Amino acid sequence: MKELLKLNRFFWKYKGTVLLGTLFLVSANIFLVWIPILIRQTIDAVEVLTTENKYTGLGLWEILTSAEGGGLLATNTAYLMLAVVLYGVLLYATRQTLIVTSRKIEFDMRNEIFDRIQKLPQSFYSQNKSGDIYVRATEDVQRVREYFGPAFMYTIQTVSRAAIIITIMVLVNPVLTLWALLPLPALTLFAYWVSGFIHKRSNEIQEQYASLAGRASEAFSSIRLIKAYAREDYEKKRFMHESEIYRRRKLRLDVVESLFHPMLSLLIGLSIVLVIWQGGIMVVEGIITVGNIAEFIIHVTYLTWPVASLGYTINLIQRSAASQERIAKMMRTPNEIQDNEETASDIREIKGHISFQNISFRYPKAEALALDRISFTIKPGQTVAFVGRTGSGKTTLVQLIPRLFNPTAGSIQIDGRDISTLPLGVLRKNIGFVPQDTFLFSDTIAENIAFGLENCSIKEIERAADNAQVLENINEFENGFDTMLGERGITLSGGQKQRTSIARAIIRKPSILILDDSLSAVDTKTEDAILTHLKSEFKSKTTVLISHRISTVKDADCIFVLKDGKITESGKHEELIAKQGYYATMYKKQLLEQELAQL
Amino acid sequence: MTASKQKQKSDSKAVDSTLIRRLYQFLKPYKWYLVLALVLTLVVSFSGPLRPFLIQIAIDDYIATGDVPGLTKIVLFIFGVLVVESVLMVGVTFITRWIGQGALLSLRNAVFEKIQSLHVQFFDRNPIGKLITRTTNDIEALSDLLSSGVVNIIGDLFRIFFILLFMFAMSWELTLVSISILPVLFYATFWFKSKVRVAFLDIRDWIARLNSFVQEHINGMSIVQLFGREKKEMQKFSAINNEHKAAHIRTIFYFAVFWPIVEVLSSLAMALVIWYGGASVLSGTLTFGILVAFIQYVRLFFLPIRDLSDKFNTLQSALASSERIFSVMDEENEVKEVSHPITLKPKSHDISFRNVSFKYLEDGEQILRNVSFSVNDGETVAVVGATGSGKTTLINLLMRFYDIKEGEILIDGHNIKNYALSCLRRCFGLVLQDNALFSGSVYDNVTLGNQNISLEQVVAAARAVEADRFIEKLPGGYNYVLHERGASLSMGQRQLLCFMRALVYNPGVLILDEATSNVDSETEALVTNAIDTLLKNRTSIVIAHRLATIQHADKILVMHKGEIREQGTHQQLIKKRDGIYRRLYELQYKDQAA
Repeated sequence: MKELLKLNRFFWKYKGTVLLGTLFLVSANIFLVWIPILIRQTIDAVEVLTTENKYTGLGLWEILTSAEGGGLLATNTAYLMLAVVLYGVLLYATRQTLIVTSRKIEFDMRNEIFDRIQKLPQSFYSQNKSGDIYVRATEDVQRVREYFGPAFMYTIQTVSRAAIIITIMVLVNPVLTLWALLPLPALTLFAYWVSGFIHKRSNEIQEQYASLAGRASEAFSSIRLIKAYAREDYEKKRFMHESEIYRRRKLRLDVVESLFHPMLSLLIGLSIVLVIWQGGIMVVEGIITVGNIAEFIIHVTYLTWPVASLGYTINLIQRSAASQERIAKMMRTPNEIQDNEETASDIREIKGHISFQNISFRYPKAEALALDRISFTIKPGQTVAFVGRTGSGKTTLVQLIPRLFNPTAGSIQIDGRDISTLPLGVLRKNIGFVPQDTFLFSDTIAENIAFGLENCSIKEIERAADNAQVLENINEFENGFDTMLGERGITLSGGQKQRTSIARAIIRKPSILILDDSLSAVDTKTEDAILTHLKSEFKSKTTVLISHRISTVKDADCIFVLKDGKITESGKHEELIAKQGYYATMYKKQLLEQELAQL
Repeated sequence: MTASKQKQKSDSKAVDSTLIRRLYQFLKPYKWYLVLALVLTLVVSFSGPLRPFLIQIAIDDYIATGDVPGLTKIVLFIFGVLVVESVLMVGVTFITRWIGQGALLSLRNAVFEKIQSLHVQFFDRNPIGKLITRTTNDIEALSDLLSSGVVNIIGDLFRIFFILLFMFAMSWELTLVSISILPVLFYATFWFKSKVRVAFLDIRDWIARLNSFVQEHINGMSIVQLFGREKKEMQKFSAINNEHKAAHIRTIFYFAVFWPIVEVLSSLAMALVIWYGGASVLSGTLTFGILVAFIQYVRLFFLPIRDLSDKFNTLQSALASSERIFSVMDEENEVKEVSHPITLKPKSHDISFRNVSFKYLEDGEQILRNVSFSVNDGETVAVVGATGSGKTTLINLLMRFYDIKEGEILIDGHNIKNYALSCLRRCFGLVLQDNALFSGSVYDNVTLGNQNISLEQVVAAARAVEADRFIEKLPGGYNYVLHERGASLSMGQRQLLCFMRALVYNPGVLILDEATSNVDSETEALVTNAIDTLLKNRTSIVIAHRLATIQHADKILVMHKGEIREQGTHQQLIKKRDGIYRRLYELQYKDQAA
């Protein structure tokens, strides 16, 4: 709740509109109560006229055009229409101010949260499920908006309408007011209970829905096993079981939902019945008029939704608060990777001399070290390669260079300076990173290649694509560089993806180029062309390669073999072959594989 | 409209009516409950409009005459009607939903059963996600139609009818005056619905874009940060966010126009009642009671009209879903049984492949080329080869997950196509590596729910493969519930459970797909003895990745590019200087010898 109140600063930003909207809403309600009042006045006046028996037997047309009776009806009806139209216009204005503002606030909040998640460190992403972060930035924001939108509007609506209507009712007759309002607190309580119940049950249903889908998923993905053991009937029974639980949970909710509308109409109906009964007695006693009864009936109908929505609103606010709590918790995550007072902000360039000194790294919450006292040095212009089994620490190692993570112990120096003192923007700007999963965005190919280089020409994009050996493929597409990728576009093959993401890295002309297993889906001939190009273009730059293929790494200035986070072998291709270790075995196996493939 | 378009339209009508007929099959068991619901709806739609009528009587006959005891009586009666109406309304809503849930349940189960019964190739062609959608989302979309849909539409129509009936009965002139705004209301409602539907689609589209942008950037956040694109991506996000906001604000406009219009129209109707009705009271042709009743009636009209326009949309989307559902239900099983299949267990388990060639897709790659071999009863045959050489396909064909078009496969001298499917598959005990465990207890995972397998048998199997030690340490032992397909167990432990399963089913032929990549030393230690136990005195076909298995095999088949290139024992094959087996041995098995 505290967190939610902090958000009121957004209201502050739009205070003018919010105030105006509130004003509109309150005045709308003022005009609304005109309606029952005018109806009462008309009925009362008609009653007086009827007792005088002036118009009995006359034709309708004569009455409607008569000065007294007709005039009275016409004036009152005109006032009524005026009130109605004013009410309508104000209602329109309320929605256009208050609800529109809630969407504007939502816009601001979404921007703020997106901005924040872009600044969260990778250690946060490795510790939290991406699904959870996603829910924070989407569903939870949506929930919080309801606080600004419906919850706020309904509250003002309920308070202002109830205050005005109840005042008028009391002015007419306090005792009848009491009778009429008697069932209403029950209505609020009931609405509160129902909306809470619905929320809770809906979550349970959602869970069961997930396990139902889970059963189907398990069965369908293990279809061979099921068929092999002829267990179709058993699986069907298990699915039916979940299905039945789902049905039962749905029905539990249905019971409450079935209660909702009838209870609503029962309580409102009860209120009207009480008005007729007690009001009727009062009419007989001459305390009030028939017009008052009509008036009260309309008052009560006007109160129905605001009173019921009060219960709903309380629930809404509770849920908004819970969502905001979760968002705030995420927003509070500290970011240990950013520029600080120790940053040497005068540095603009990086040459690419990298040195690891006794680097150890442990993932948050992990027990074992992912990297264990790693030391090496790479001079500008050199190409080094890392090989080793999956999980040996290769990717972790190269991720430390652009400071995606800070090392647990030891120091990484670039151009002789600890990287934590380099401006983060400069450091990353000078690194061309091609990650293992070759992530591309759902955007055009051109945009994807130009990613990370502001204002680059189509010439540069083409050149980068050419150098990454993907230009020909792109030109074969109907829309060339404007081809959309991803959900709304085409899917590239693994090799095309890898080459596109290489183009994305080399277009920056980085001092340090890192290829994390980025040629695995590229055939050896193309690979050779890419590597040859890199060698000539990046002669003075630093290149770090990770690969499982000998052909990729064999020409490196130094090859490191990693095992369980430690360097076990290092040297040039020939030296490592001579050592008869892991690298030599890997080499032999790949020769054999080639032979087999040619058979 | 051209003739072809007209034809299309009538075709789609025909499709709709078949769909409805097929959907009705699932409602049929509840036929009488439906009738009951309809009758109750009728009563409810009557008693709602009855109340203003009773109030009119209360005002005119009792309040006007000062008859307080009479007033109390009629008030009690009105209260009684109100209670009965509310109770019936609860009943009707619940019954229709109960019917709907029942129909959805049987539909969902039927879809699941159907999909599960289909041939394996169907699962290759259709992504699992899509199939899950058929059994969940698509069914859910029918929920409104099957539960409250039809009954509500009828209820709303009745309600409008009864309101008009009461109104006309009291004063036909005033009725005509007050319903004169109805055409405007109808028009406004349908204008609003059509606008809002488009606007909602627009919003949905922008929400989807916004969410997928967020999703994508959470997944690719390291790229964004590495390339220092935070500012640019923020701008992009803000642009989409802005469109999303604009779409909402457009919709707010329609609501902001529509709701006041509804309010204004209903109050307008009230004003008309007061004006015209007031005059009628003056002339003595109308009573105050009728005036008060009409004020209530004009407000009652709006709800059913709005409901009706809502229901129209639900109906359309429901029909779209049911079309998708029934297209799965119409899918034909491509692996069929012959009309009089052999149901008796084969006496021997001699297996032979004769000139089998196979490809998964008509225009796809040739996976097997003219493969012939035989396995004699009691033999252990190991299949070796590089990835993609066709090893697994042999097993897929033998178990009739796919049917072959060229060549034949015989068991005990009979073509496998002549056996009943269940009889054929029961000959085999398949031990797979992936997707082999389910969420559920250890015991259930071993028996796969077969009631004929006792706990004693499971325990005995556990002892045989030496899995008893780790199972007994699990909390709850054999009742230990596995989550996420046994993710909490080690790879070796998971394999042992699969071995136990094969043992308790005691199959004639054991088919084993050994784990490929990186068998860690712990797993190796766990499974070595277990596999020996498993293979002893049993006809078995093993896709072998372990040296120990191939060394003990009676026969090794060397698969290469869809062909059997070499056959023999380990000793024979290793001697062939330039043989494939020799190279495979160097590549895959030699390290294990050390």
